[in-house]
Parts: sequence; C-alpha cells; structure tokens
Amino acid sequence: MKLLLALGILGLVGILAVGIAGLWPRADFPDPDPVARGWRVTNAVAAIVLGLRLWDTLLEVLVYVVAMVGVRFLLVGLHWKGELPPVSETPLLRRSADLLLGPILVFALYVAASGHLGPGGGFPAGAILGSALLLLALAKGMERVSAELYEPRLESLEYLAVVLLVFLAALVLILGLRTPAAFVTANLLIALEVAIGAWAVLHRFSSARGEV
Amino acid sequence: MESLSALALAVASAALGMWAMVVRRNLVWKLLGLNVASGGGILFLVALSHRTGARPPIVGLGPGPAADALPQALVLTAIVIHFATLALALALVIVLTEHRHTQDSRKLEER
Amino acid sequence: MSAALVGVLAYFALGMLGLVLARGRETAVVALVSGTISLALWAPAFPEGFVGDWPWGIAVAGDGWSLGIWGLALFLHATVLLHAWSRDSLGHSLITLLVGTCLAGSISRDLFNLYVVLEFSSLLSVILVAKEGRSAALWAALRYLILAGVGMTLYLFGLGLIYGRTGALAVSALARGGVFDTAVRVGAGLLLAGAAVKTGVFLLGLWLPQAHGQAPTEVSVLLSGLVVKLGVLTLARLAEAFPVGPALLSLGVISGVGGMLYALRETDLKILLGHSTVSQLGFMLLGLGLGAEFGALIYAVAHGLGKGLLFLSAGEAVERRGTRTISELAKGVPWPAVLGLALGAWALVGLPPLAGFTAKACLGANQPLWAKAFLLLLGVGTAAYLARLLPLFRGGTGDGRLGGVLLLSSGILALGVWGFVGNRDLYAWPVWIEAPLTAGAGFLVDLFLRTKSWPLPKLSLEYALLATLLVAVALSASFLVL
Repeated sequence: MKLLLALGILGLVGILAVGIAGLWPRADFPDPDPVARGWRVTNAVAAIVLGLRLWDTLLEVLVYVVAMVGVRFLLVGLHWKGELPPVSETPLLRRSADLLLGPILVFALYVAASGHLGPGGGFPAGAILGSALLLLALAKGMERVSAELYEPRLESLEYLAVVLLVFLAALVLILGLRTPAAFVTANLLIALEVAIGAWAVLHRFSSARGEV
Repeated sequence: MESLSALALAVASAALGMWAMVVRRNLVWKLLGLNVASGGGILFLVALSHRTGARPPIVGLGPGPAADALPQALVLTAIVIHFATLALALALVIVLTEHRHTQDSRKLEER
Repeated sequence: MSAALVGVLAYFALGMLGLVLARGRETAVVALVSGTISLALWAPAFPEGFVGDWPWGIAVAGDGWSLGIWGLALFLHATVLLHAWSRDSLGHSLITLLVGTCLAGSISRDLFNLYVVLEFSSLLSVILVAKEGRSAALWAALRYLILAGVGMTLYLFGLGLIYGRTGALAVSALARGGVFDTAVRVGAGLLLAGAAVKTGVFLLGLWLPQAHGQAPTEVSVLLSGLVVKLGVLTLARLAEAFPVGPALLSLGVISGVGGMLYALRETDLKILLGHSTVSQLGFMLLGLGLGAEFGALIYAVAHGLGKGLLFLSAGEAVERRGTRTISELAKGVPWPAVLGLALGAWALVGLPPLAGFTAKACLGANQPLWAKAFLLLLGVGTAAYLARLLPLFRGGTGDGRLGGVLLLSSGILALGVWGFVGNRDLYAWPVWIEAPLTAGAGFLVDLFLRTKSWPLPKLSLEYALLATLLVAVALSASFLVL
C-alpha cells in the first residue's frame, strides 16, 4: 500500500509537471476591457460572473444554498442534553465587537454595491457580513445572539433571495438586460444570501457543539 | 515565468492533500486533506491567469495588458462550491460521530 | 435555446419556491409540467448558442443526448412523484432541483459548466442519500462526497491545463481546434478520470454501490436511473472534444467486469443492484469508446428505465419487509414488487420485446467481432447476477404500490416497441436466438458459481482513494505515451 501510494503521489506530481511544462506557448485570450465596457461596468471579472457566465453563477448560488439546507437538515436532529459548554468571553473581544461591528457592516455593503466597479462583489461581501456575525456571536455568546436574530424567518428570506436571483438571471440571459443596476441588485442579493447562509450554518454548528 | 512558483505550489498542495487523505484515518484529517488538494486546484487556475507584467482585469487600473479574467471568475465559483462541500461534509461527520462514536474511517468501514 | 433555458430555470425556481413555501410536492408537479412544455417547444434539437455572450459565454445545444436525458429525467420524475407522493416536502424540493440539474447538464457544452453541474448533482445526491439518517447511509454519503471531491479536484487540474494551453472551454471549440499536445493530453486524462469518478466507473468511483444501495427508494431510482447518466454524458462530451476512445474502451472493460464480479457475490439486494449499475456502465462506455454514440445513448436511456424499475421494486420490497438480504426477502415480496423486479430483470438481460433488447441491438450493430464477443460475455454476466433474484419471484404476498411500477413498465415496453418500428434489423432471426441463449447461459453460470466460493477484496475508502489516484495517473500517462 505504501509503495502504491508513493507511486500515485509521485505519478501525480510528475504528470502535472509534464503538463505544466507543455503549457508554453500560452494561448491568447481576448482583451477583457472591451468586454467589460460592453456590459457597462469596469470590473471584467464582475462582467463575467454576473453577465457572461451568469448561468454558472446561478448554479453556484444554488449549490451554496442547497449545502446550507443540507447542513441545517442534518444537524437539526441533534439535541444536546444538558448545558452547552460556554464559548470563552474576553473584555477585549466585547469592546472590539462594539467598535468594529458598524464599520464592518458598512464595509460589507460597500463591497457588495461597488462590486461591478472594482474588486469585490456579492460573495466577499456575504463572507464579510457572516464574519461580522461571527464576531458578534463570539463577543456576546452564541445563544443570546441566536435568540435576538430570529432564524427561521431569515431562512425564508435566503430562499426568496435565490428565487429573485433566478428571475433576474432570466431577465439578463434571455431578455438581454444590460444595466449596472442589474449588477448591483445581483450583488446585493448574493451578499444577503451568502451572509444568511453563513450565519445559519454557524448557528447550527455552534448549537451542535459539545462532547461527541 | 514568475507564475511557475505558484504553479509548483499548487501541484505540491494537491500532492500533499492526496497523501493526507490516503494516510490519515481520521475523517477530519481526510477532509482537511481534501480541502488542501482542492485549494491547490484553485491556486492552479489563478496562477494560469497571470502573465508577465499583467495588471488586474479592471478598466483603467494601472499600465500594461490586463490579466486573463476568465480563470479568476471560474475560481470564484469553485471556491464557493468547495466551501459548500466542506460544510456539508463536516455536518455529515458530526452526525456520523453521534451515531457511531468514532471518526476512524476503518472502524466506520466495518458494519 | 430560450425554451430549454426557461424550462431549466423554471425547475430551479420552483424547487426553491418549494423550499420557501414548504410545498415541495405541488411545485414539483408544476415544474414537471413546465419542463414537459419546454421539451415540447425545443424538441427534437436546437443549434448551439451562447448563454451570456461572446467571448466567454457558456455554449449550450440541444442534441440527441439532451433529448434522451430530458425525456428520461421527466419520465423518472413523474414516476418518483407518483410513487413517493406521500414523502416529505423537503425531499420533493431537493428532487426537483436534482432533476433540474440533470436538465441543465444535458444541454451544456462547456467543460466548466459541466463541472458546476456535476458538483451540484453530487451535493444534492449526498443530502438525499443521508436524509433518513441511518448510519450506513450516512457513511455511504460521506464516502460519496469525499471521492467526488477528489474526482472534481482532478477535473479542475485537467480543466486548468486545457484552458491554459488552448484558451477554450467549449466542447465544440476544443474539437475544432484539434490541439492534442502534451498539456492537453495530460489535461484530458485528468478530466476523464474526474468525470469517471463522478460517473462511478469501477476502480475510480467505488462509492456508487453503497450510495445507491443505501439511499431511500425514490432517491435510488433517480441516482441510478438519471444522475449516473449525467456522468456518462460528460464522458460523451469529452469523447467529442478529444480523441479518447481507447481509454474509454478500457474503462468500459474494467467497469463491466469489476461490477459483474462484485454483483455475483453480493447478498444485499439493493447493493447488488448498485454493483449491477457499475457493470452496466461498461456497456455505455464500450459504446462511447467504439464510436457507437447513438447505441450508448439508447443504452443509457434503456438502463435508466430498467434500473429505475428494479430499484423502485427492490426499494418497495425492502421497505415493506424491513430486511435487505435476498435470502430473507425470498420469504415473501409484495406482488407489485415481484412484477417490477421480473420486468426490470427481463429488460436488463435484453430479452425481447422490452427496452434492453433494442438497446443491445443498437449497441452491437456494426461492431467488430471481439467487441460483440465481449458484449455477449457481459450479457451472460448480467443474466448470471440477475438470476440470483429468481428466489424472489416465487410468489407475491401482501399489497404494495403499483402506480410507479406500471408507469415505468409502460416506458420500457414503449422503448422496446419503438426499436422494432425504427430498426428493421431486429426482425433478423439470429438476434432472437442470441438473447434467450444469453439468458440461459447466465442462469447456468449462476448455478455453477453457487457451488464455488472465491474471495474478493473489500473496497475500503483508502483503497478507493488510492485506486482513483493511480488510474488518473495511468490515464494521463497512457495519453502521453501512446
């Protein structure tokens, strides 16, 4: 088995090295600038993700939301007897959470809304928002934050964001809608969906913690 | 040629991840290995989009020709998919541990 | 093109709406109707076009494969709705999304889009397999997820190599370009290995029998009937883009024989059917490797219907009797399940006048002699492991649900009859003798093998990972050398 493993790993490295050596001369690619201008944005990656290859992005959003549904469904059956072990709290974390939460939220919104102009977009913004919620949960205790943010209603909001995104995709792909407004809407919807998904998963994972 | 080091790193992390997946018996280690390997795949695509002297594919940002924008967009998709896969796999590990009280893949294999 | 896209989008939107409103069944029915309308609007084909725009849009086209998979998907979805109407809403929503994914994959002609579709289908399948929460099913689902993850990582590397060298992702552009130098050869090997893992080819995708066997009934039907075909479709697209015929041929031989050997030793009814799917994949890959793409397509559809029927009845029997082994089940199976198992086995063995007969005739037409001989050998093997189901046919007891069985049986019969209408060669007499002789030989082989015992290695996860790695390397290396 060890010999076979060594053979497999070395073979993989060797094959990939040969392949990489064969990559040159590299293929030409079209200049992204005119493409981005054609979609009336400046970030070419945003033009691809939310315009040219919106079909992929739609599937990717569905992958994300379905994985979150799966996590929720799998973990919902686990009930813990007794107290959950507390997440350790420090005064430093509490203070910094108070100070940082507002700026992080504003920054996430900025990243989502300006994703078509520069680096950013819905997915990073959602991840930033999710990490803000993580910070809040670490500072104030998971259970208290969970009690304050009612979750099932948020879940429906997440699914609804995806349904809206499907309709937006139909507008862009089939009817040929090309405005920056569509990009901003799509980015905001994706950010909302990613943030809620990340939050819900965080909530589930933390409420299923404990001795195993 | 400056992208060669990134390509080499991608290959190395794929090999490392695969090795960990076969050798380690603990499921969490296996998932870590899978994540390292697929991280290698993502790095590979990003490294491919780079050309010597290229600038980010944003209109009016810096001199020089733009880097290839397509792999960067593909990577965005791949990252989210890997994140989703990892979250689902970890949830499965939690539930399995609850049922079988072990994370050792060989013990799980025996029914 | 727009009609097909709207159909797929309707499937996705209605699946998600089913999750929002917690009314998965009703939205699934609406999705099925809109999918059928969409199919009627675009059938029988639509020319290749771009979703999105030049230069990086996603190429989609409606061809024979799209038509076959759409038909199969909608038919199986209707069956599942009919059979499992009383299941929970979440399951129905996820099944709607899964069927929608297969529809999206079947029109896609872009390698990265196929990657996303394959990942989405494996995530959905994993959730559906694990949904009931039995620990064996959970473990099968996790194995599936880990192996699919490895396969998709290999696929991503292959994709990178091919894009880096040719700058193209669309199947037609790659086929037109015709570049097949070092980087593309290695890339094609890795792509092939990744797609084969997802398909469940023997030695690469050793997750398949467990996952298909442990899944709930309606999920097994969809996994074996439909989702596997998505992998076959990906392999067909790869065969279109690169000259990989010989590699597909050898994968087909390995898969056919390996699945057959394990199916002959298995005692668990549903897992036996899972091994049988691996073995039947051999037929389809042989067809692709030999260039008989139409035969492979017809075989894929016929296998989807036949194996769907087998899994439907086996699942019904297992659920009603609460036991999984064949010897325990032989004490009495509900009579609709007996009917379904008998008809499914009849179709899969390839006896006239059902779908399997047509499919085997299409596959074997105009092939070299050695290929015909090998197909015959696989046919005997199929008959041998299906002969192990014979004790179940002793006589039905109790009642069961008949609706899904009847619907699928009518589909199998329709495909068989269509073969007679469209294919005059089927009236030639050697075919009629060949099929019963194959079945008889299989029965005798099974009788003989019952007296023997031979050990087979256990397919643990470590070995599955190792085998995947080694075969991927071997495939790439063989492209480099040959």
